[in-house]
Amino acid sequence: MNQREKEEYLREYATLKAKGKPFFPYAVAKDSAMAVVVMAIIIAMSLVLGAELGSKANPTTTTYVPRPEWYFFFLFEVLRVVKPPSLVGLATIGVPTIGMILLFLLPFYDRGPERRPERRPVATITGIVVICAMAFLTYEGANAGSPTAIETTTPAAVKQAGGSTLAEYEAGKKVVAQSGCLACHKIGDNGNAGPGPNLTHIASRLPRQGIARTLVNPTAPMPSFKNLPPKKFTAIVNFLALSK
Amino acid sequence: MSDKRSKQKSKYTLDRNIPGAFEGETVTRRRFMTGTAHTAGAIAASAFALPALGFAIGPIFKSTPHHWEVVGTEGMFTDTNYVPVVLTVAPNIGEAGKTTVYVRKFNPELDTDPYDKGTPYIAISSRCAHLGCPVRWVDAAERFICPCHGGVYDLLGRRVGGPPVRPLDRFYTRVAGESVEVGPRFSVNSELKRFSPRDPGEPLDGIGQYLYPSRPGAQKL
Amino acid sequence: MPKLPKLPAPPLPPPLREPPPRPGEANGEGGPIEDARQAGITVVDWVDERTSLSGAARWMMFRKVPKGTNWFYTLGSATMFAFLSQAVTGVFLAMYYRPDPAGGAYESIRYVTNDVFLGQFVRGMHKWGSSVMVILVFLHMGRTFFFGAYKYPRELNWVIGVVLLILTMTMSFTGYLLPFDQRAYWATIVGVNINGTGPLIGPYLSDFLRGGSEFGATTLSRFYAIHMLLVPGLLAALIGAHLYLVAKLGTTAPPWQKAETRPELRETEV
Repeated sequence: MNQREKEEYLREYATLKAKGKPFFPYAVAKDSAMAVVVMAIIIAMSLVLGAELGSKANPTTTTYVPRPEWYFFFLFEVLRVVKPPSLVGLATIGVPTIGMILLFLLPFYDRGPERRPERRPVATITGIVVICAMAFLTYEGANAGSPTAIETTTPAAVKQAGGSTLAEYEAGKKVVAQSGCLACHKIGDNGNAGPGPNLTHIASRLPRQGIARTLVNPTAPMPSFKNLPPKKFTAIVNFLALSK
Repeated sequence: MSDKRSKQKSKYTLDRNIPGAFEGETVTRRRFMTGTAHTAGAIAASAFALPALGFAIGPIFKSTPHHWEVVGTEGMFTDTNYVPVVLTVAPNIGEAGKTTVYVRKFNPELDTDPYDKGTPYIAISSRCAHLGCPVRWVDAAERFICPCHGGVYDLLGRRVGGPPVRPLDRFYTRVAGESVEVGPRFSVNSELKRFSPRDPGEPLDGIGQYLYPSRPGAQKL
Repeated sequence: MPKLPKLPAPPLPPPLREPPPRPGEANGEGGPIEDARQAGITVVDWVDERTSLSGAARWMMFRKVPKGTNWFYTLGSATMFAFLSQAVTGVFLAMYYRPDPAGGAYESIRYVTNDVFLGQFVRGMHKWGSSVMVILVFLHMGRTFFFGAYKYPRELNWVIGVVLLILTMTMSFTGYLLPFDQRAYWATIVGVNINGTGPLIGPYLSDFLRGGSEFGATTLSRFYAIHMLLVPGLLAALIGAHLYLVAKLGTTAPPWQKAETRPELRETEV
């Protein structure tokens, strides 16, 4: 923005302002109405959702699954998907710091005189992309399950078979959840995508014998499950063989 | 114009025709008072700001004494599997100052790294080396698994998957009579070489140990 | 000497004259309600005579707002209102809270939630108010961004706004630890360690936040002091600066609003 554009803007703005209405009571009326809405929302949330207090802080726990407040979900999801250790510093400090610096300096590198969003396509599209990315990451972060619990719908075929098949499936699901498979595999919406393959439909790619063989004699870095008690081992194989 | 003025300028206020100047005076009274205002103000402000700041950052430089704690008897631990024990790392705050440590007897077949020689027990911290979440020892998979961002470690606490930047931290151990004692924490790099304890998320390989220096408050033995 | 006729008194200068009665107002004799009104006006006049605040109030309240401002323009004041709600509920929560990690903190919050009259309600307002405030801050920033309201001459106000955003996030981060339940504890551990991953100064920064190399006896009171003294003070001061700049520079007009310059004015422009 050069001096001429600055003066042009100031003149234009002075004209618009002179034609406007006084702040009190016209704008204040709107502001007050908005304040009433805000308070209504806060009070409604307080009444409906309450203020839950979890169990007391216990640093010795080894079963608790920490999750942040929802407005940090996007950051949480970034930390979850950035796998290579060499990039961890970038995800925790690097990207947020760069984002904040860019936000800080926005008026100093975006100095064009144009203000209408449709005539600043780069800024508008960047803004929309950033909002969409954050919304997507927040959604993903909110739905990130714990690596020690599986929540999937039981396949229809298993449900139909019922009886012992259904019981085997449920028992296997429990053992799989407790055995830490989800740390490297994805089952349905649960677990991490990698380094291991997705196990949601493993039975359609690998026969029952193949599954058992892989569990005993896996490719690194997967550990062998041959030391598992036979009952638990069978349960895992049952569950995976039914996951079509 | 300015050239001419600077030539005229003299050290003495008297020569510059300042009214009321004394013989030999080099600083005008206005300049003297301005300087006094700035200096005295700065001294007064730093008189409360500096002690308060020092008070706030003081704990960084305070070294904490090492302490050893009995966690069990020798019979409690095997050399193939981990037993979780609870250890106090910050005194006087009860439950909030404790942490879980996984302890296993030294196994010459597994613990072949030179740095572990002479350690009677292997004590592995339950704090994930990514960002400090509580890892769980999963017996079936022989893996430590972190529930936050999906870090996975092997039997020796080395990273096998996920984002952790170094192996799990360990604790010094010793045997006194029949009982097993666990001492201060230390961090290890990917070759299990020992370093002063670092916070999670700070790599120790390559230049990592210099980028994330050890702190006076936490030193290895 | 003959007695000279007395000259008529000169008229009083306008400021000393009695104000003319307002329409519908009886002069001087109005009964108790009128007396109370007069008393109020007198008090306000007394303060104004000594502070000249009415000028500032008039400057703030009766400045003109450009035509075309819409509901998007209420987001800033709504954020400030959420902040006020947080401040008031926070002060009253502080009356019950004990920053004691050995069990006192959790117990005091449990007591507030379960036993104090309206305790759960006020704590809920503080808890959900923080979420609402964060949302409003982001919406307000989005409005400013898409309307190009950060451009000349309002660059400095944008910078102050970004600082306010960071301080709001700091508030939500430090406030998160205070109930001292599992969620609070582990979120704080992760948050402090995220700070620690900054090269060179990171480890010292997390030591500063914890007040030592481990989560210890003073960590909770540190977070408490930052949450209820340090950051709110900064927030209030910067909100004041933000508002002053808004009043000084004026509310932005919507970007598509164009002034129609009258032809006779156009000629004086060169």
